Amino acid sequence: MSLLAIDDIHVNYGAISAVRGVSLTVDQGEVVGLIGVNGAGKSTTMLSIVGVVKPQRGTIVYSGQSLIGQSPETILRLGIAPVMEGRRIFPSLTVEENLRLGAATKKDKQQVEQDIDRWTTFFPILRERFGKPAGNLSGGQQQMLAVARALMSRPTMLLMDEPSLGLSPKLVGDVFALIRELRDMGMTILLVEQNVRMTLDIVNRVYLLNTGRVEFAGTPDELRARGDVERAYLHGGGLAQKSASPA
Amino acid sequence: MTDLRSLASRISTPLILSGIVSLIAIIAWLRGDVVFERVVTVMFINVLLTVALQVFMGNSGLGSFGQYAFVLIGAYSSIWFSLTPEQKNLALPDMPEEWWLYSQHYPFQVAVVLGGVTALIVGAVIGIAFVRLRGASFTIATFAFLIVVHSIALQWREVTRGSRTVIGIPKETSLLIAAVWAILAILIGYAFKESTIGLKLRASREDEDAASSIGVNVRLMRWISWCLSVFMCGVGGALWAHFIQQFSPQQFYLSETFLIVAMLVIGGSASVSGAVVGAVSVAMVSEGMRQFENSWNLARQKGTSIGDILPFQLVGFTEIVIALAMILVLVLRPSGIMGGRELAWPLRRRGSPPAASSESVGMTGATDTAS
Amino acid sequence: MITDLAQYLVSALSLGGLYALMALGLVIVYGILRLINFAYGELVMVAGYGMLIIGRSPWPWIFVAILSILCAVIAALVMERVAFRPVRNSSPTTMLITSFAVSTLLQNLALLIISPRPKVPRLPAVFTKNLRFGGVRIDVLDLSGLIVSIVALLALTLFLRKTVIGLALRAAADDFTMTRLMGVRANMVIAAAFAISGLMAGIVALFWIGNTRSTTPTIGLEPVLIAFIASVVGGMSSLKGAVVGGYVLGFLTIGLQTWLPRDVNAYRDAVLFGIVILVLLVRPEGIVRPVWSREAR
Repeated sequence: MSLLAIDDIHVNYGAISAVRGVSLTVDQGEVVGLIGVNGAGKSTTMLSIVGVVKPQRGTIVYSGQSLIGQSPETILRLGIAPVMEGRRIFPSLTVEENLRLGAATKKDKQQVEQDIDRWTTFFPILRERFGKPAGNLSGGQQQMLAVARALMSRPTMLLMDEPSLGLSPKLVGDVFALIRELRDMGMTILLVEQNVRMTLDIVNRVYLLNTGRVEFAGTPDELRARGDVERAYLHGGGLAQKSASPA
Repeated sequence: MTDLRSLASRISTPLILSGIVSLIAIIAWLRGDVVFERVVTVMFINVLLTVALQVFMGNSGLGSFGQYAFVLIGAYSSIWFSLTPEQKNLALPDMPEEWWLYSQHYPFQVAVVLGGVTALIVGAVIGIAFVRLRGASFTIATFAFLIVVHSIALQWREVTRGSRTVIGIPKETSLLIAAVWAILAILIGYAFKESTIGLKLRASREDEDAASSIGVNVRLMRWISWCLSVFMCGVGGALWAHFIQQFSPQQFYLSETFLIVAMLVIGGSASVSGAVVGAVSVAMVSEGMRQFENSWNLARQKGTSIGDILPFQLVGFTEIVIALAMILVLVLRPSGIMGGRELAWPLRRRGSPPAASSESVGMTGATDTAS
Repeated sequence: MITDLAQYLVSALSLGGLYALMALGLVIVYGILRLINFAYGELVMVAGYGMLIIGRSPWPWIFVAILSILCAVIAALVMERVAFRPVRNSSPTTMLITSFAVSTLLQNLALLIISPRPKVPRLPAVFTKNLRFGGVRIDVLDLSGLIVSIVALLALTLFLRKTVIGLALRAAADDFTMTRLMGVRANMVIAAAFAISGLMAGIVALFWIGNTRSTTPTIGLEPVLIAFIASVVGGMSSLKGAVVGGYVLGFLTIGLQTWLPRDVNAYRDAVLFGIVILVLLVRPEGIVRPVWSREAR
């Protein structure tokens, strides 16, 4: 059985339907990519999982428990930690305080200290800026903090929404290297990305969303094998181009 | 055919609302009861003020706690213009005789309009700055303005007699005059709402940035509705001054502000009908409560057998009921009694309010679901 | 001259400290809910009547004071649960209007149930005394206000920095949804904010009423107005701003009282609220800049 199973969810914002019947699964230990152009419904799917948006139809089941109608705080407590689009670190809190808040649900103080030590070793820049306001970090550093903060809750599954957005090419490389490392540590990850080329290099499976529907589901190799998709999405990043019509 | 129906329904709203006002006026006139007539006259002035508030709040989606500053300005400025120098000696003894204002003396109706114009001038100037603000900042700024005007009025003895009551103002505002101005306010308020400016303004309140991007000058339209609203408030103050005959700055402050805000919120701020229905129903309820309070307190004072079992004097009961009603409306039916609709015939009409206007004061709330 | 200055300093620090607490109570709720709580002043009133009623007991005054503060905290929590939770997702304007209604409701309840007339609660006799240090005369009320406000500020700072709830409160002011995505319960954070707001109002009430020596249904108006001014000037969304705004206003108030002629002082409110309008227009973020620079985001 899958760790996370989304079945046929529909989300409307007023008259606009953002997601119309998306289904996907993520297995334990898997890295799954969710790709597509802007407005394809990736972020809405993500927000539905973490309980910020409530789907009008469909089911979301996480290790046997329905997530529909659950509050964001409950969903985190079940073991899903999000790294949201735009990083969403707490700018007026220090790096340390951001990390401590990441462990807000953890009672074991010693374990929290260990984790802080672990992730500041993993991200030396965070140790360097430990007592500084997080708002003063650069974009890439904030991304590191957002990831470390999510990991502080010791999640079973990490949701990452566009972690490479707005970063310099070098930093994008760093972020993907980080995801690779997390994957190798055995973390289950659902990765929402626009950077298709790099995403395909690190995921086990990939879903392609288009106008609120799943247009393709399969392995990266299967996706690469489809010429039309290749043309529409992969050339030069291919984000601004018109969505591909299914063959 | 549909155009004709729609036209009929468009005209029907102001007709129905004016009809309600006229009917109440006729009933009051037929009864010939002085107390009842007073109550109805005050109610009409409140209809005028609530519609004035609606013109701004209902169309712009911004909340204002400052409208009573303009009622105050209208009230005082109207007596500057209506009183003869001799009357001013009594009402405003501190006004120097050499002032230009001292010698001014116009017929009552002119003074009422001048009261509105004075409020308009002040409001237009301050409005240029205010329309830049959004959301709660705007409301706080208007509230701060009320306090500024209030405290200036308390000190500036030459034009207001300071904190003391101005007296000896002739009674000019009759039931008829109040009714005519209330109807005028309804017509103006409705015409503004249905005008291009009103329509664009209401569209813009959902998303100011989007409206600006399609070339709608939100601030200018907001300013126009603000100016119209403060002019009407000034007129309302002038009418009230010449009805109540004596007043002080204390009578243009928080509890008065609360009353018109309550009337608008309870009725529903998104429509002129909401303003009228709110003003009339709150006025009726509070009058009923006031009579109840009075007879309760009287029974207690007389020490009758009923009086002995009444545990305490009833004060503030009316306000409690209104405040409770208002909280209930905000919690259970944020769009008020009228729910953003206008009274119209035939009932189904084109251009019925968009779903989004169900929000009580018409602002899009935080999409955060903090349940 | 020196003695004047010392007295001025103590008075200003005391008043400023109390204003800072007052502003903090307003801002801590605003930061999270975007609710400007008009009914905040009524918490002072609740504590005031708490002092009146509990003060009739034979208990020592300090118990009366603590229980009165507790009354304000409970009133704040009830207010949140009954009136504000149902409108939590509405626009800031709707919430503001709701709080206006709550304020009117509470004031008139006091009018109805207690009395329109000022009531004199039991106050410690020491409040009217003063101490002499050499030539300097210092009111005990001022001195105790100064000490209590500083202790309260320090305690609150520690709470906000060192506890998870404190961190969550500060984080929620930055980004409420994200705070919930840290597993922090929304209702808990909001209740904590209201409890702190009631605590601040309760502490202020002790000294406010210690000064006015009586309590009325409208006693909350002036404190809430002060909190408005201080927090707008300091910056509505910054706790530090609230404290700075409070002290600035405290020094200004005492300074104007001491050195300005009486008839000019009459326009004090007009000037202060004129400044509020000006700050909203020219510098809506207040005079205190956040510790992090916005450009870096």
